[in-house]
Amino acid sequence: MKDRSQDAGERRLVEAAQKDPGRFGELYENNFERVYAYIARRVGDREEAQDLTAEVFHQALANLARYEWRGLPFAAWLLRIASNAIADSWKFKAREQGNPSSDEPLSPDIDMEDVEQRARLFRLVTTLPDDQRRVIDMRFAQEKSIREIAKELGRTDGAVKQLQFRGLETLRDQLAASSAKKSTGKLASKSGGQNG
Amino acid sequence: MANQSLSEQLDKIVDALVARPGAASSRREPKVGASLRPLAKIAAQLRDLPAQDFKTRLKLDLERRTSVASKPAVATEVRQTVVPYVCVKDAAAAIDFYKNAFGAVEVMRLVGPDKKIGHAEIRIGNSVIYLSDEFPDHGALSPQTLGGSPVRMSLSVDDVDAVAGRAVAAGAKEVRPIEDQFYGERSGQFADPFGYVWNISTVKEELSGAEMQKRMDDIMKQGGFPTAPPAVKPIPEGFHTLTQYLAVNGAATLIDFFKEAFGAVEAFRVPRAGTQLIMHAQLRIGDSILELADATGEFGARAVANILHVDDVGAVYQRALKAGATSLSTPREQPYGDLEAGVKDPAGNQWYLTAIRKTGHRTEDTRAILPHLSLVGAAEFVEFTKRAFGAEEASMHKAPDGKVVHARLRIGDSILAVGEASDERAALPAALHMYVPNVDAVYAAAVREGAKVLRPLRDEPYGDRAASLQDAFGNLWFPSTHVKDVQF
Repeated sequence: MKDRSQDAGERRLVEAAQKDPGRFGELYENNFERVYAYIARRVGDREEAQDLTAEVFHQALANLARYEWRGLPFAAWLLRIASNAIADSWKFKAREQGNPSSDEPLSPDIDMEDVEQRARLFRLVTTLPDDQRRVIDMRFAQEKSIREIAKELGRTDGAVKQLQFRGLETLRDQLAASSAKKSTGKLASKSGGQNG
Repeated sequence: MANQSLSEQLDKIVDALVARPGAASSRREPKVGASLRPLAKIAAQLRDLPAQDFKTRLKLDLERRTSVASKPAVATEVRQTVVPYVCVKDAAAAIDFYKNAFGAVEVMRLVGPDKKIGHAEIRIGNSVIYLSDEFPDHGALSPQTLGGSPVRMSLSVDDVDAVAGRAVAAGAKEVRPIEDQFYGERSGQFADPFGYVWNISTVKEELSGAEMQKRMDDIMKQGGFPTAPPAVKPIPEGFHTLTQYLAVNGAATLIDFFKEAFGAVEAFRVPRAGTQLIMHAQLRIGDSILELADATGEFGARAVANILHVDDVGAVYQRALKAGATSLSTPREQPYGDLEAGVKDPAGNQWYLTAIRKTGHRTEDTRAILPHLSLVGAAEFVEFTKRAFGAEEASMHKAPDGKVVHARLRIGDSILAVGEASDERAALPAALHMYVPNVDAVYAAAVREGAKVLRPLRDEPYGDRAASLQDAFGNLWFPSTHVKDVQF
């Protein structure tokens, strides 16, 4: 089910970044939402998700030279790092709280399909019409109330609710359209042992 | 309507979703009707939506790490411990300017989805400077917005005259001309178009601190530094921030009235070429300046109101009537404690003659002339002046319905009084000449806050950089900075 040309493109990107770390930005852009989606689903709060996401990319950048291309998506490698980082943080927390029982809370399975779907949704938010995007971003990422958003944007509560409604509708329609098109670029659903 | 209620229903669902924190495993979507179910599912997933600014910050952080790793030239140098981080309006234009003016080399830039530069690094000589666009939400404001920068940039070059010439050609303005300085440098100061002042210098003599001190002591012994040509004062002598400017029919007659009634002293008048009309006149009444002109098409005749603080209300009232004023109210104690009378001058301007309690005691609140504005929407006007001019409320009395009865606003070193217009008190907006040290910033802020441009900001032949604006309440504002002394 894998698209060969997409693989080749990604491989070239990885090799370019290995030669010139300045090119790492492209790998970051392509994979940020995936890593974040994976982590955010597993940790409760936003701040922790951000810390762990940052850690994953720092580690990836530091270890990029050691990465070997074995035909699996680069994202799979990043999610392995993420999975380990989450496990470490839980161990650390368990130790801190004197609770050694939760030693291995993480399922080794990485549901790539779920990660892909969520990452796609997050990327679609950035392509929404400006007023819808701002409302969605403020409401969900910044966790603001309708009242606060209305005040900030100088609109009525009703108008903000409408924008929220239309934003979610747009996302629903675009998700449907992209999943219809996108049955090829899917990643393998198991990505246990490889580079690392 | 159906859509309306759907958006309401959906928001209830979203509210429930975002209000309930907790680990992903324990999250459950609330019960919803079938039509909203797909949207609710998306909303549930959006609880994990990454914040855009986090994505940008992390990218910036990674780029900084990689730029060290990927650019040997940078990596091998000692990284500057302290780097100035300058915020500018239009960082892209600023980078271009610094390239043209100072030969800066761009090291990197990060551009956000809104095309604004979140972070950029440039190198001038052996120094790095960080730049960004304005991000008011994060407290990143430029000198243009703030009205100047207290930080001055110092640029050390081999040939100050050549570099300064290039800077001026690129758009910098000379602040202080290039001269040989006693401390062994040849230097001058130049303002860039983004609000930063650069001291550009070339070392001519290598001097120790002690040698410099000795030279300075010698100069002081000989009576101080040779007086350079006097610097231009941005606010001319005698002016305060706000000065009422009258446009009337019959300015010459009115000047005579002010002399007779209020003891005005004429500083000068400029006639309109080939006529008896006055293009501009300046009077002094007590510690205040009053400006006036014969009305023109652009600046039509209009009546304004002022409080005039005097020592003897009764005497001034009588003199005013004798000189041709009509009475608005005879001298009497007002409920708010002032002894007050009201007159209308021959041109229709209103003057509230108010006694100063302690003779000779003057504060900015009791300057001779204090503009008094009666406005429709005085409360909104107060907010406008705060946003546009940084006004502060010195006092505020509101009626139970929220209307401003009487407020005093401090703008710069001046006070103006404002109240809501009513049936008894007709709307009387003011025309205010406003001297500020930084007219570009004041002008930009006023326009941003909705003031209408009657005449855009420009350097006038009489030596001021000035503009004409009208606010939404009918007041005229003439923000000005004196930039050049001109001989008439």
